[in-house]
Amino acid sequence: MKCYKKRWLFILFLCGFISIYAQESATLSGYVKNGANSEDLLGVTVLVGTDRGTVTNDYGFYSITLPKGTYTVTVSYLGFEDITKEVVLDKNQKIDFMLEEKIGVLDEVVVTSNRASKAVKSTEMSVVSLKSETINKLPTILGEPDILKSIQLLPGVSSVNEGSSGFNVRGGSADQNLILLDEATIYNASHLFGFFSVFNTDAIKDIKLYKGGIPSVYGGRLSSVLDIRQREGNRKEFNGELGIGLISSKGLIEGPLFKGDNEEGKGGYMIAGRRSYVDLFTFLSSEFDDTTLFFYDLNLKANYSINDNNRLFLSGYFGRDRFEIDDFLGTIWGNASGTLRWTSILSEKLFLQTSAIFSNYDYSLDNLRGGSEFRWNSNILNYNLKPKLNWFINSNNTLTTGLDITYYNFEPGEIKSLNGSNVNPEKFQENFALESAAYVDFKQTISDKLSFQYGARVSNFKRLGRENVRIYENGTPLTYNPILDRYETNQVIDEISYGSGKTIQDFYGFEPRFSARYLINDYNSIKLSYNRMYQYIHLISNTTSATPLDVWAPSGTYLDPQYADQIALGYFRSFNDNAYDFNAEVYYKSMNDVTDFVDGADLLFTEEIETETVQGDARAYGFELQVNKNKGALTGWLSYTLARTERKILGINNNEYYPSNSDQLHELNLVGLYKLNDRWDFGANFVFGSGRPVTYPTGQYEQNGLVVADYENRNGDRLPAYHRLDISATLNPKKGKKGKWIFSLANVYNRQNAASIFFREISEVGDQEIATGETEATKLSFFGIVPSVTYQFKF
Amino acid sequence: MKTTTQLYISALLVFFILTSCETNVTDDITLNGSAPRLVIDGGLERNITTPLPQQSFRLTSTIGFLDKEDPTPVDDATVTVSNGVTTYDFVHTSNGVYVNDLIEPQIGVSYTVSIVWNGDTYEGSDTLNEVPLFDRLFVVFEEETLFTDEGYFLKFDSSDPVGVENFYYYRIFKNGEFFIVADPGNSITLVETDEFFDGQQRLGVTINEEVVFEIGDIATGQQLGISEEYYDFLYELFIQTGQGGSFIGNPPPASIRGNIINVTNPQQRALGFFYAVDVEEDTIEVEE
Repeated sequence: MKCYKKRWLFILFLCGFISIYAQESATLSGYVKNGANSEDLLGVTVLVGTDRGTVTNDYGFYSITLPKGTYTVTVSYLGFEDITKEVVLDKNQKIDFMLEEKIGVLDEVVVTSNRASKAVKSTEMSVVSLKSETINKLPTILGEPDILKSIQLLPGVSSVNEGSSGFNVRGGSADQNLILLDEATIYNASHLFGFFSVFNTDAIKDIKLYKGGIPSVYGGRLSSVLDIRQREGNRKEFNGELGIGLISSKGLIEGPLFKGDNEEGKGGYMIAGRRSYVDLFTFLSSEFDDTTLFFYDLNLKANYSINDNNRLFLSGYFGRDRFEIDDFLGTIWGNASGTLRWTSILSEKLFLQTSAIFSNYDYSLDNLRGGSEFRWNSNILNYNLKPKLNWFINSNNTLTTGLDITYYNFEPGEIKSLNGSNVNPEKFQENFALESAAYVDFKQTISDKLSFQYGARVSNFKRLGRENVRIYENGTPLTYNPILDRYETNQVIDEISYGSGKTIQDFYGFEPRFSARYLINDYNSIKLSYNRMYQYIHLISNTTSATPLDVWAPSGTYLDPQYADQIALGYFRSFNDNAYDFNAEVYYKSMNDVTDFVDGADLLFTEEIETETVQGDARAYGFELQVNKNKGALTGWLSYTLARTERKILGINNNEYYPSNSDQLHELNLVGLYKLNDRWDFGANFVFGSGRPVTYPTGQYEQNGLVVADYENRNGDRLPAYHRLDISATLNPKKGKKGKWIFSLANVYNRQNAASIFFREISEVGDQEIATGETEATKLSFFGIVPSVTYQFKF
Repeated sequence: MKTTTQLYISALLVFFILTSCETNVTDDITLNGSAPRLVIDGGLERNITTPLPQQSFRLTSTIGFLDKEDPTPVDDATVTVSNGVTTYDFVHTSNGVYVNDLIEPQIGVSYTVSIVWNGDTYEGSDTLNEVPLFDRLFVVFEEETLFTDEGYFLKFDSSDPVGVENFYYYRIFKNGEFFIVADPGNSITLVETDEFFDGQQRLGVTINEEVVFEIGDIATGQQLGISEEYYDFLYELFIQTGQGGSFIGNPPPASIRGNIINVTNPQQRALGFFYAVDVEEDTIEVEE
């Protein structure tokens, strides 16, 4: 731990960088809100004079300290009218700004971190944000706007196949994304086996995805942070929306709380719900009479201002999927989360927010076959406390510091008999862990041209009792036999008991973060970033598709934390008064101790997962390019990614690097949104991706009357390239009317993209099931051309 | 409880069938082949009900997966099986089949096969575990469901011994003919561990849900007591043959490791499993 102390000194040294001026100065601070409903606007630029400025934080709060004097303050935000105001700053001042939405103007920006000039000027890189209005305008498959599908249209973000709402960022695996919904961690973001994501876009305000240069505020996953914020609720008036689609219907209401006769309530609320009815279509075939299949979810948010300086927010999410086949199988799964937040303006310069979060993911699986009925339950529960302090030191320096403490309770599984069957009940050991982190982050403007954002996060993961830890022969659960090129499982020779709360294993991680921007001129900048990330919990799943049966395992005696280093360099440019902007980035990411699984691993219903898990290294590198058109009737973007991601794990693929499941050399996305007139909007997107890695058989043999395939190299072959065009049209209501129609056509030219190619013995001749000894290769595609229509109604 | 994983995955399959479409691409695909590997298919069976006149297994070598011909028989190997005391010679008859009529498999004995072929020596062992008897073998008429046809299904009751780890494999014969077909259900129904029902009596378990009997058929069911290693092998075999490789929801496919080791040249692996099993068997005629 000696070097650990030195690292703290390093942080203190960083602190010393901040120069605090003793000049006569005053602070301008306040909130920026949407004038229509009083919701906070975050990331709003507050420009003072021409060269000094700040942006609002996650709660719409800004603060800037300047020498006393008279200033022109300009507040500007995408899709809103600018406000310009003369401010005589002779003492500390609090000014709240109410921005009004632009009406009747052609839609401005689609994507990018706000307006183009900000993309050039901000120190942030490898970051993209999308507003839910944009997501709602993109063409959809089956009429359901989807956050996770939309972000896959951005460079560096992809997915392994259409049936997975899991996404891969810069070669990371799907479990390396930290998905936050109002700060609560979402463990499984998929509905209906990955065809939909759990986020109802109606209830979402905006999303931000960090692919690199991740600030020290965030931690716990290697590859990305997807920060999703729910709408807060209208403080001024009651509103409702209804949407009716082919697959699901949804509704939302919002309104003020404690309004009385005032123009604005002391609070506001928003409740949104969604329910699918795929199962209603099972009548199409009598074979599916016995099938139940649906999901629903609920989003809730409420906020309340105690006084000018203190506010409370309560948000919640509850989602459930149910899939059942009578007398055969039933499964139910879902996330539930709740966040209580308190924000407090301690002084003009200090903003404190504290969040207490609860999050749970659980699933049950029922075997309903006669004679051996049972129910299997598993869940992961956590409690999270996050205090965070923003200190707006002066116009050049901002400091953010805080803690992030999570207590985990994993219940890997419990089996119970159903309907009086003779199944012996059993419960796997629970796992407990405490993950704590402290972080500090500085934003520092050095000169007009150069600015930095840097900091560090120190994390600790304690695996706690009560637990009996298995001790294996040779001190390890698995021994690799190089001669036979396979893992051999060692015997359990002992067990060590740890009492409740006793530390079983302790891990520390030091995670420096750094990004810099050099502004060449107002239209050109170069950025550089580095981050190190630690991940202490691992998804135990060796399939490429989203399954509800997700088991997460904490690091411990036999499982090390994963960590990654990423470095990225980018060039940002804007043209024609920000009508266009362009960015290009290169990155290299090295990942260590990523988890993989021995060949033929059985991961469900296995308590000794350490005998199935192996760890190794991975690397990812690539080039990303994006051009945005931000103004005019036609907006949209073009993105291209050239990337490689590989893994090297002892005992897999002859111990040589092999392509990761998400490896894709070329990826191209073209997105266009066209506003014809006040009534018609059109959207189109085209995606192209080179073939993903798969493992094809190298030989066949017979065993027990069946033809069996033999394999050599993992992921040694490639699927055919993937491409697809989707289009949509939106018919907006006439003046005074409230209904809106959205038409979508997915996969316009009916391309049969290969989700998979599989190899098998032909075992049906006519109607007869029979082993033929003959073999075939079959391509599986999910979607042909899919039309859909949705009707939306506001009240 | 590996079976439930598969239960889930086959249900998932149903969901995907709702939305997906399949195309035969056999002629569009060229596979990378590999050097032929030796394959053993078979082993020793102790059967009290119908004692076998001789013990036999088959040796072949692999061919390309999409090749039209059958795997090549190996007829020039020198093969012995030892019980630790006596070594029995197995002689080639035809089509890669090797037989011996003297060896009598015994409970609790470990058997080792030794194969000398193309200058390499291969070895593999398995231990013969006693199998519990059927308490009852019977047929039940069932309606058509999502996964099964209408007809008579062969079922059994059997009591698992207390405190012993048991691994089972089920075989079914229709009018004397062994039946098996690649199916996702195989890994659920054909192999079983007593992990969650140790010491319990199981009632009305269907032997093979793919096989439907009609009145007048002769139905034979076998319950095999197998080793844990053979169970793992069969489970993996049924998973991979049931789903045909890299299907959604499937782990990355990999070579299934058997129990045969190439002693001379370990990297040049052999495939398949040499087993020693105890067989409980019963036969009934399907009546109304």
